[in-house]
Amino acid sequence: MSRPEKRSKVNLFRPKKGHMRDEVLIILAILFGWVVCTFGFQFLVYACRGTGAGSLLTRLTLFNLPLHFWFTGQFLPLWFIFLCIIFNVYVDRITEYHSRKRDRSYE
Amino acid sequence: MNDSSWSIFVVLLVLLSFILVGLRQKARESQEYGFGGRFTGRIGGGAAIASNWMSAASLMGLAGIIYLHGYQGLAYVIGWTGGYVLLLVLLASQIRRFGKFTTPEFVGERYGSRPARLIAAVIAIAISVIYCVAQFKGIGLIFSFMFGVGYEQGVTYGALAVVSYLVISGALGVPRNQQLQYLVICVAFIVPLMWLARRLGYFWVLPQFGYGRALTDLWREFRIDFTLPFAHDSLFQWCALCFTLMVGTGGLPHVLSRFYTVPNVRDARWSVVWGLFFIALVYWSAPAFAVFGRLIEARRGMIPSPEAARAAADVVTLNTAVAAGLPGWLVGVLAAGALSAAFFTVAGLLMTGASSISHDIYYSFLNPRASERARMQVAKGGTLVLAALVLIIALKPPGLIAEITAVAFALAGNTIFPLFLLGIWWDRANRYGAIAGMLTGVLCTVAQPLFGGTFPAVAAFFPLTSSALCGTPLVILVMIAVSLATPPPPEEMRSFLEQEVHGHMD
Repeated sequence: MSRPEKRSKVNLFRPKKGHMRDEVLIILAILFGWVVCTFGFQFLVYACRGTGAGSLLTRLTLFNLPLHFWFTGQFLPLWFIFLCIIFNVYVDRITEYHSRKRDRSYE
Repeated sequence: MNDSSWSIFVVLLVLLSFILVGLRQKARESQEYGFGGRFTGRIGGGAAIASNWMSAASLMGLAGIIYLHGYQGLAYVIGWTGGYVLLLVLLASQIRRFGKFTTPEFVGERYGSRPARLIAAVIAIAISVIYCVAQFKGIGLIFSFMFGVGYEQGVTYGALAVVSYLVISGALGVPRNQQLQYLVICVAFIVPLMWLARRLGYFWVLPQFGYGRALTDLWREFRIDFTLPFAHDSLFQWCALCFTLMVGTGGLPHVLSRFYTVPNVRDARWSVVWGLFFIALVYWSAPAFAVFGRLIEARRGMIPSPEAARAAADVVTLNTAVAAGLPGWLVGVLAAGALSAAFFTVAGLLMTGASSISHDIYYSFLNPRASERARMQVAKGGTLVLAALVLIIALKPPGLIAEITAVAFALAGNTIFPLFLLGIWWDRANRYGAIAGMLTGVLCTVAQPLFGGTFPAVAAFFPLTSSALCGTPLVILVMIAVSLATPPPPEEMRSFLEQEVHGHMD
């Protein structure tokens, strides 16, 4: 008996169940962390200029660097490394989980 | 020997050592591992990614742009590191599973179209040429600095040196030892910086933190504020530049092809983390050179005019080292680091560009029956033509090193990044969408010089160095619209994407 042929579908915003959905979830989470810290922070610095919060961001110092300069120049590259590590650990974990699940289906 | 002879001696020694170590590595490899049996591991893979990435833009351009624009220049630091996050999460594993190593090959296979492949090849070559112009400017500046000659002479000598290296390495078959190269570049950049911090009396063990006090001194003593956010440019310009460099990183052909030298997908992913760490080590250090440079100038009573500062920006690392009285051999070490970064980037890009001319344009499009020998000759001729073209543009460089490099990133971000992104993550993207997207991307990149005069809004939204913030989303929309309006790609390709690229765990 022939089954109706399944239509192939690859879409970042409509991932298939299983490994792909888990992978897309972590991708979106990492991209959220990436956007918020990179561009969100710049918006914050811009929006707060001339206010008390702005003064806090630009006058408070860390390692003798103003907070906003330290955050952008030193913390963000570190944050990117951290995001990559989180992504890799999570993907390693879901890969292991799904490969175990897949192997069992062959039993 | 005087100081400048020492510099030249150290530079020659470093370049020669690369050839010797390469030859030794080649002999050992063929004895111990046989052909292609290179094992690098995650850290080694990371060092290779970092050394492949390091260029004159990282070692000279970055410090120069921060010296000139302060906080605005940090957009380059963030753009050039944050792009790796995009690359890792969206493209790295999937492209590897797709199995096509170069941009034109990927486009040709995924979109099943020879014209699309041809356009992708031309764009990849254009990116290489623009990128090489920036490197040639760096090489020219170092040569003119070392030999005390004019810039034009320096860049001509530099071009001759690069072509000679290509001929020698081609004749001897010298492999590039990228791990060693990264170590040399990193040490050559950071040790002089430590020396500099010590000489100026700052915390020298980690000068990346030590320059904080120099920044405070600069403000306290001379009222020069490096840290003022959005002082010269707007928030939009900062974000546009940063985003452009990020998507450009994700679309740069020679970066994408790095994932194939590591044994498996998992190691490829982890080597990106190490690569990013090694890159960040240099990027945390570059602002320090800029700040120390300004401080030394100010203490000598020199406040350069904007034009003079712009002219000096690209050599600020070398000038600062000399002005602080670093010994000649150490200045030589710094110059050797920057020169080898620029040198090997150019060599790699010229070879890749030439093989693209020979393989993707000549063999695949013009003459499919060409013999191996004819293709080789086209590749060799292509190298010379590309080098000559780059030299002609570099004789009158159109901007700072970092700015020229940014244009290459804008082109990559506007054209290749959307092509890969949709090609991997949306099976409905087809050849018509790809071609329309690439053409739109090229238009977005050159919108400012072409239409900026007539339509000021175009210049505002698509600045030459930062066009991708508006360009990439526009190209993605065009690709989606055109793809939906035209027939879907073949079912085999859609199944391949579903089963091989994304369905490996089903």
